[in-house]
Amino acid sequence: MLRNDADSWGAPAKLFHWVMAALILAQIALGVMAASWRVSPTKLELFFWHKSTGMLILALVALRLLWRLANPTPALPAGMPAWERAAAQLSHGLLYVLMIALPITGWIVNSASSIPFRIFWLIPLPAIVAPDKPTADLVALVHGGLFALLALVLVAHIGAALRHHFVKRNTVLERMLPGTWRTP
Amino acid sequence: MKKIAAVLGLCGLSAFALDPAQGADWKMDPAGSKLEFIATFEKTAAPGVFKEFDARLRFDPDKPAGSSLEVTVKVTSADMNIADVNKEIRGKDWFDYAGFPQAEFRSTDLRRTEGNRYVAHGALSLKGVKQPLEVPFTWTGSSDGAVMEGELTVKRGAFGIGAGEWAASNVIGADVKVKFKVKLRKAG
Repeated sequence: MLRNDADSWGAPAKLFHWVMAALILAQIALGVMAASWRVSPTKLELFFWHKSTGMLILALVALRLLWRLANPTPALPAGMPAWERAAAQLSHGLLYVLMIALPITGWIVNSASSIPFRIFWLIPLPAIVAPDKPTADLVALVHGGLFALLALVLVAHIGAALRHHFVKRNTVLERMLPGTWRTP
Repeated sequence: MKKIAAVLGLCGLSAFALDPAQGADWKMDPAGSKLEFIATFEKTAAPGVFKEFDARLRFDPDKPAGSSLEVTVKVTSADMNIADVNKEIRGKDWFDYAGFPQAEFRSTDLRRTEGNRYVAHGALSLKGVKQPLEVPFTWTGSSDGAVMEGELTVKRGAFGIGAGEWAASNVIGADVKVKFKVKLRKAG
């Protein structure tokens, strides 16, 4: 089943979700290590992978949004309180905003620092702002702030998914799992 | 006899002084000149310039024998256009501004290879290391002067540029391309 329907996610939506989940966790580890490592070839290497992964995530989120808009979104369980629905919508919206805003602020930092960079050694990344050290410093702070927000929203997202499964015992978590794991 | 010998001697001296093989003296016009170095970072070009350098040349394009070239580079004028990188390259692991503020290239062996192409065989002194270096260039004369242009590749490791853990070439490449354009006018 490729397309989503009112009750379940299709395979592409699940693939997007889990591939991006893995990439984002790897990306967080790379980013935290790159930022805290002492100046060394390893630090530059970590930044190289962090930037490449970030641009991959940006490309994937664009495709993912198109796929989401072209498909029905499975409904939330009936009887969910209004605040939970609002919280679900807010956190999902925020995750999409952050999946776009984090790579773009990173891109701005790289451009403002005028660091030459090719994504995975292949695709030259064009500058989107002029070289300017104050801009680079400011946007790097914004990038860090957005990361803190992402960490909070991810905790809420994972916590909510586990609560749906173990406390409320509905199918919200299960229906995002790969097909073979699904209970009929 | 003595007189004749003296006259002949003077003739010989003046002939030597006017020997065209010695070529003309040239001075660099800094405004029209540029010295770039292009390192690589993760296999992507990372360009920089030496803002201050000077070239002195004694050269006759038609008779390059007897020519000489002397280039001095103020290493501390390096600019790679990235604030953090400019801070790093001052240090001991890289250019070591404090220890070796100046680099020099000297050649007294300039040869024509073909047409307007020449090679200056000489030695580069950089960061306390002196190594033989061949600098190929083209010579374009004009009514008000001349331009010499060329590029070559230097192994940064030979000069200890990028010491210790930076010697590895997987992140910062081993080869650095050097490109120059020197605008010259006849001195005096």
